Amino acid sequence: MLDTADARTGGRRQFRLRRPGPGTLVRAAVVTGLLLILLFAAPALLSAYYVDSMTQVAVYAMLAIGLGLLVGRVGLVSLGQIAVFAIGAWVTARLLFATSQPYPLVLLEAGASTMAVGTLVGLPALRLRGLYLALITLMLAGAFSIVLATTNFPNGGHGFLGYNGSSVHIPPIRRPSIATTDPAYFRYAVAVAALMFALVYAHIRTRPGRAWIAIRQSEPAAIAAGINTTMYKLWAFALASFITGVAGGIYAGAVHFLYSIDFPAQDSIILLAVVLMGGVYSMWGAIVAALLLQLLPALLNDWGVSADWLTILFGVGVLQVLTTAPAGLADQVPKDLARLGRLILRSTGPRHRQGVSEHDRG
Amino acid sequence: MPSWQDFQPFIVTGLALGGVYALSGVGLVVLYRATGVVYLAFGAVGAMGALIAWSVTNAHVQAWVGWLACLLFSGAVTLGYGMLFGPALSKRDPLVKATATLGLLLVLFGLMDLLWTTSGGQSRAITLPTDNSGFIIGQIQVTWTQVIGLAAGFAITAVTGAFLRYTKLGTAMRAMANDREITATLGVPVRRVEAAAWLGCGLLAGLAGLLLADMVALDATTLTFLVISALAAALIGRLRSITLTLAAAIVIGLVQNLLVPIPSLSNYNDMTPFVLAATALLVLSRRHVIARSREET
Amino acid sequence: MHERASNTCGKVALVATVGMFALASCSSSPSPSGGSGTPSANSSATSSPAVVSASQCGTKPGVVATGTPITLGGIVTNQPGTSFTDIANMANAYFTCVNDNGGIKGHPIKYNIETEQTNPAQIAGEAKQLVQTDHVVGIVGNTSIIECSIDSSYWQKLGYDIIDSGIAPECWSTPNSAAVNMGPRYSSDGAVQYALAQHVTKIVFDQSNVPGTGYIAAGPAALAAAAKVPIVQLTENVPITDASSVALKEVDDAGPNGAVVLNFTPPEALVILQAAQKLGIEDRVKLWGCSTPCNTDFLAQSLGPKWNNKLFVNAELTPPDSTSTPTMQLYEAILKQYGKAVSGGIGSFSQMGFTEAEIAVHALETITGAYTVASVNAAFKAVANYNTGMLCQLWTYGSYAMHIPNNEDYTVTPNNGKMVTAQGCTKISSVDPQIAEYRKLAGVAALAP
Repeated sequence: MLDTADARTGGRRQFRLRRPGPGTLVRAAVVTGLLLILLFAAPALLSAYYVDSMTQVAVYAMLAIGLGLLVGRVGLVSLGQIAVFAIGAWVTARLLFATSQPYPLVLLEAGASTMAVGTLVGLPALRLRGLYLALITLMLAGAFSIVLATTNFPNGGHGFLGYNGSSVHIPPIRRPSIATTDPAYFRYAVAVAALMFALVYAHIRTRPGRAWIAIRQSEPAAIAAGINTTMYKLWAFALASFITGVAGGIYAGAVHFLYSIDFPAQDSIILLAVVLMGGVYSMWGAIVAALLLQLLPALLNDWGVSADWLTILFGVGVLQVLTTAPAGLADQVPKDLARLGRLILRSTGPRHRQGVSEHDRG
Repeated sequence: MPSWQDFQPFIVTGLALGGVYALSGVGLVVLYRATGVVYLAFGAVGAMGALIAWSVTNAHVQAWVGWLACLLFSGAVTLGYGMLFGPALSKRDPLVKATATLGLLLVLFGLMDLLWTTSGGQSRAITLPTDNSGFIIGQIQVTWTQVIGLAAGFAITAVTGAFLRYTKLGTAMRAMANDREITATLGVPVRRVEAAAWLGCGLLAGLAGLLLADMVALDATTLTFLVISALAAALIGRLRSITLTLAAAIVIGLVQNLLVPIPSLSNYNDMTPFVLAATALLVLSRRHVIARSREET
Repeated sequence: MHERASNTCGKVALVATVGMFALASCSSSPSPSGGSGTPSANSSATSSPAVVSASQCGTKPGVVATGTPITLGGIVTNQPGTSFTDIANMANAYFTCVNDNGGIKGHPIKYNIETEQTNPAQIAGEAKQLVQTDHVVGIVGNTSIIECSIDSSYWQKLGYDIIDSGIAPECWSTPNSAAVNMGPRYSSDGAVQYALAQHVTKIVFDQSNVPGTGYIAAGPAALAAAAKVPIVQLTENVPITDASSVALKEVDDAGPNGAVVLNFTPPEALVILQAAQKLGIEDRVKLWGCSTPCNTDFLAQSLGPKWNNKLFVNAELTPPDSTSTPTMQLYEAILKQYGKAVSGGIGSFSQMGFTEAEIAVHALETITGAYTVASVNAAFKAVANYNTGMLCQLWTYGSYAMHIPNNEDYTVTPNNGKMVTAQGCTKISSVDPQIAEYRKLAGVAALAP
């Protein structure tokens, strides 16, 4: 058993590296069950408004798992994920307008482009540590958002940028032929998200995952143990960028219309805050983060509550997570519930545990 | 290519903008040196202080009361944050401490939009008495507010430098930046020194907020995220040297505005802080200057 | 000891902070500094006492409508920095007034307002919410930066004909959207047209870099080309961080006999104009122009007397300050009695909301029989040559492939704190190809009496 007590973050987390046992099988069954419910029951039960929101949850789950992978598994913080997201959406839109390639191929190409961008950025940037890596990604994201404001997103125009600024009728970005309706596209998005999660899971369970743990624990020790830390850090960057690019592609099909004002650099800050809240050490944390980012605002909007309360909640959440619950909600809530359960059991437990019972006293 | 004549007025506005960046940048560096925290909520605190000052003035109270309220608020919130969350996070990585300030940023940002709602088509403004008087350089009117912005940048750099070098409290702050634990064992009251650093930074945030609200706009989003551009200057100063931060801020302001009259580059001029900071970070990392601790040499 | 001391310090700070919040929330009334943009409770101070009472909005004054409600919907942008809720809230105020005074043949109107933050997924979802969950029979009052683009095909598919205050290109270029305003392109046309009429030798057209800049710029470009006047097209990223450079650039490019025409939201336009004044360069061009958003008394007051007859603003709607018709008085009365949620008070936003609601109510009153999607939208489309009392022209929806029913405007200029008329109703030039196409489809619209 590797005890990965991380001195930097102050949290303790046990990662068991063992063969699939009964626990894993149960977990797999639960996950499959939930997935089936999502794919088949949810679109029928939810209103169109919420089906659209859940599609966004699927998109942002991919964003969250990418960032969570970087922060939780490798200890790298990137404040530029929204820029990568935007690039993925851009490439998808451009290809969908310019060619008639099948959707999955376009998504792969988008992911490949963002993977290339992520690797190119990572090559020099990963020389920086911790805080400075975060800040340089923030700076690069800020620069990118200015460029995006001028180049805009493809909207069916010609030329490399594919942007026709004088259009009076912007054509929508197409969806895959098997998933043109909203419920069908929701299923498509969930399926792609599940694939991305599986991809991350596969990485975590094999050599890259172990290398990342070693790097996060102590980079000098990992180097001393012969791990090529540069390569594995780049690998993490590349993987996170790939997933984020694919997420951008799914987003493009979901919304049909892309605008540069929808990708402000400050959204990367909110993404980091909520991913931390959700929990970066568990894959469930990414789902919690996505629900917080997309479902909760939709609910509040429906109930007429201002979105500002959510911003405040996220701020408080970040502070709480960093000071008292480093592993986030995905870890804290089950623990709190377990503790509550134990409390209830103790107060209503069998009387013989308290020594002489009331009955004996007679 | 525009002529020298065309560039001249942009030098004046560039210097004023540089002063704006310098104010925030120096404030960020000072706090980082004392506590290891990159205070990303610097802009948000100043913005809310400026909005409070606006509210006070709007209620027909004397303007100086509003400015005082702004400074008090910024100082109090920053100090409060530092005292509440500083100890809990003191042993953590600078990255964690910086991320925690994002929490404060988000709380303030949400509060500002709740309390000062966006009203259809109308805007709020802070005016300082120095806005309407000035002098003429070349053919451009320069207001005293712009001069104050630039001068404040210089003044704060000089005063802070002297403070850190020649006073006991300042020396204690520098010692704490080196090593908090050893400084504590030497009998320096670290909590009090930290509190002083937080309070000082907070007051600076309030001052910057007022000046920025006047020179740029009294808009919560603009002022909150202007800190990213100011951070660029601080990063070029390696989060260590306030003189270098000041110089970087002036350069960023000048370059950003000198690009404006060049038609092909004009739309990209807002990229200046980001591009310069990213370049500086990459260049400095080659020499492994940043990989070290934040000690002074 | 240390812990307690720091806790006490922390508590003191917290109390101080809370105190500040209390102070802030007490004094931060929704109305920003000065101007006739005060909340409705104070509006009587700015206009002569209304001789028309609000109850004249309905057919049976004083009779509260109690029948089955007619459900309408609207989508407006509401995010930090951009809020069009005043428009929807004013429409709601009108509907509430009608409900209190007879309703639509005894039926009250239930108006569902959805707010959005320029998020395409959210906007599409809200449209579906209105239709599938709220079962609205008509859509009135949409005002959004991008909603027309996103929802246009959805509304078309379901047979909704929208009455809106448009911004995005699709608000004017599709068969099922007719706006009460002119929007950024045609309003900018109006401002440029006025500048050209003053014989300027160059135009600098600067606008905010939000979706649709090319579409907007095409109008002024066509006008300038026809007049053989060179035009420089600029865009600025908003929010503007350095208004001084923007102002300098514009003035330099325009030259002493040129005009600078702005298309920004009021806060940004104000910042540029004030920067020009601070730099002392406002007189270095022949005149300044602005599209409709600048038409607020708030701007006139903030700018001061130097801009009298220097800044010319295109006004899409009849200026309230210089008009005292029964409709204008009704507008002010409704605003005063029912418009508590309209934070901007008298101004173009509330005027647009009033006009949209007015048209909708007029259409609804013509319906005999059930109020269904089909009947309500047929009634909207059938509105023809209706005198809204707020526009230069009579308003027509019509069954055309595109709609620009408001294509005639005023020009106003600041005069010591108020916007006054500089030029009466003037048609937007048919040199703009879109205007030409609409006029061909619809025939030339008649002038209001």
